[in-house]
Amino acid sequence: MTPIAGGVALSLAFGFGLLAVLTLLFYNKYQDQRLFLVGQRLALGVSFFIFLATFILSYQLIISNFDVDYVARYTSIETPTIYKISALWAGQSGSLLFWLFILSIFSTITILQNQHKHHELMPWVIISLTVTQIFFLILTNYVTNPFQPTEADFIVANGNGLNPLLQNITMAIHPPTLYLGYVGFSVPFAFAFSALVNRDTSPLWIQSIRRWTLVAWLFLSMGIILGGWWAYQELGWGGYWAWDPVENASFMPWLTATAFIHSIIIQEKKDMLRLWNMALIILTFTLCIFGTFLTRSGVMSSVHSFTESSLGPIFLFFVFFIMIVSFGIMYTRLDVLKSPRKIESFTSRESGFLFNNMVFVVLCFAVFWGTLFPVISEAVRGTKITVGAPFFNQINTPIGLILLALTGIGPLLAWRRTGSKSLIRNFTFPLVMCVIAVILFFLVGFKGYVVVSFSLCVFVTSAIMTEFYKGIRARKNKFNESLHLALMKIVSKNRSRYGGYIVHLGIVLMFIGFTGHAFDREKEFSLQVGQVDHVAGYEFELLKLTESERPNHYAWISELKVTDHQGTFITNLYPEKRVYFHRNPDINRRQPHSELDIYSTLNKDIYSIFSSIDNDNKTAFLKIMVNPLVRWVWVGGYILVFGTLIALWPRKEK
Amino acid sequence: MEILRDYGLIFISFVLSMIYAIEPLFMSKLVDINKRDDHNSLKRKKVMIYRQIKELEMEHDIGNINDKDFAKMRDELKKEVSELISQIKSK
Repeated sequence: MTPIAGGVALSLAFGFGLLAVLTLLFYNKYQDQRLFLVGQRLALGVSFFIFLATFILSYQLIISNFDVDYVARYTSIETPTIYKISALWAGQSGSLLFWLFILSIFSTITILQNQHKHHELMPWVIISLTVTQIFFLILTNYVTNPFQPTEADFIVANGNGLNPLLQNITMAIHPPTLYLGYVGFSVPFAFAFSALVNRDTSPLWIQSIRRWTLVAWLFLSMGIILGGWWAYQELGWGGYWAWDPVENASFMPWLTATAFIHSIIIQEKKDMLRLWNMALIILTFTLCIFGTFLTRSGVMSSVHSFTESSLGPIFLFFVFFIMIVSFGIMYTRLDVLKSPRKIESFTSRESGFLFNNMVFVVLCFAVFWGTLFPVISEAVRGTKITVGAPFFNQINTPIGLILLALTGIGPLLAWRRTGSKSLIRNFTFPLVMCVIAVILFFLVGFKGYVVVSFSLCVFVTSAIMTEFYKGIRARKNKFNESLHLALMKIVSKNRSRYGGYIVHLGIVLMFIGFTGHAFDREKEFSLQVGQVDHVAGYEFELLKLTESERPNHYAWISELKVTDHQGTFITNLYPEKRVYFHRNPDINRRQPHSELDIYSTLNKDIYSIFSSIDNDNKTAFLKIMVNPLVRWVWVGGYILVFGTLIALWPRKEK
Repeated sequence: MEILRDYGLIFISFVLSMIYAIEPLFMSKLVDINKRDDHNSLKRKKVMIYRQIKELEMEHDIGNINDKDFAKMRDELKKEVSELISQIKSK
């Protein structure tokens, strides 16, 4: 199909969207069921035309139709097919269309899933989702159209090609995962907004959105972890998190969403925190849009921001629109948002959850402030004051450690109140383990935050183990089951609870990985073939320096032999220096890139970067980093995903 | 030709989508879905409270809730579920 058809499909989606909203508003006024059905079907029509437009753009990318500006800018003849497809989200207009595409999938599922449920809520749910679609349709139709023909002055003979940094398999997966997270929160927000309009505070809709929230949270978590993995593998600075504005943009809604996931448990079980939950989900969705604004507007400079534009004011308008409308309606519904019950004791699980929520929000505010401070300082004082990683680490490390401690404390507290006997009984084992860990870590020679973090990891793991032990013991006593069967039963019958504990275990492993950063070592040096240098007790010998021409780049490959201080062979590393678009006659369009090689174990990573080459003297300029415990972050990520899947797994209703 | 074909396909998609969307307007009468919705909501609420009772029993079994609180909370939930059952029966 031609790109013109794509443009028409987007226009039709916009028209259907307006009609859907109008029809549903009429339904709310006249309460004629037929109008509701029409509105619902029009909303499905919006998604259909968005699917069509996305399919057409993907097809144009695959066939390399350089008559389309977007295709010419983000692909070339040499671009491998997988990256031609991933180019859909590499540029601004394509990524906005991709946002719409995911939103349309979610919107369609929500409509079809709730055909026989939540009839009072659904009209406003659909309105809310469709208004979000309309906003993005305005952008893709009138501001940055992905089907725009190629500009005359733009060289299109071979296509501009995809940024080499994006030609990585993780980068083909990371943005869609992150988008699934961002966009996923549209659904819980739509339900919350509808519940506000309808004055519905029953826990039923909370139960419905709990699953959606977990799905969105899972994707957002995976997106963040994959982003870190990509940065670690591709950017060549040896880390996975730099408190970059775009990283922070995804981290902020993750924080409020995590708080929300915890606090809706209280509303579901105790009918408390209605107002707080409402505020949290509004904030989460707003931060998702704000995150897209930060990534797409070009207002912040970031290593992850691949697009720059003048979309900022429009996005900002939409962010304020959501906040004013949502918080405005919330203000008029304060009477129904007052919870009938109150927290009875400080030593209760409810208060533990509330405290954890507050710390999450404080952390979110700290990240928000640090992220926006350069923009605010420039607007107020005319000078841009950069806030770097040291600021974020200084503020967020203690807050993060408090959260880690609460991860262990929360499950040990009982609902309503924890008596002094229970407190002593529940806390004894984890605290004893923690104290032993503190002593051991001091004896080993660790100091400061390292000791606190590792000891808290021991405390939380012990607390989780205690919970598993208590559950298994209870089942064994009651049903006389074997240990294995009792473990399977407690998890399968209480999936959200034990799934949550497994997620907490994943977080603990990630904290172990974060703490390993304190022991990082690095060195830059140059080597000729046969020469050696040393870093952190390892010897690096340059064995070979070869060259190779590949379909989309030219590469210089170094072969490094790594041995430990006893001379034992560890591995061979092959970091590369590449030049992408090397056949382009315009030298300025050729892009150098360092392709890393990493030797990774649970204990440490040996991270090698081929920074540059002196061809005349056949000298490789290298940077080697020895990063302990990084793999624990990724293992923790796997466990986090596994735990969330357990929590999400549907239960059999009897 | 290709453009004409594409416009034709888009036009057909548009017409079919419009027919599908406005079709309910030609229906004469619709079942009161809100009434059915109420009934389903009550049933789902009942399942939810049963689930809460199960979870409460587990909390008690593992020693996270003392006997006094357990009895009080279980009675509250049982009362709530019996009210729901009578409402469901009356519909």
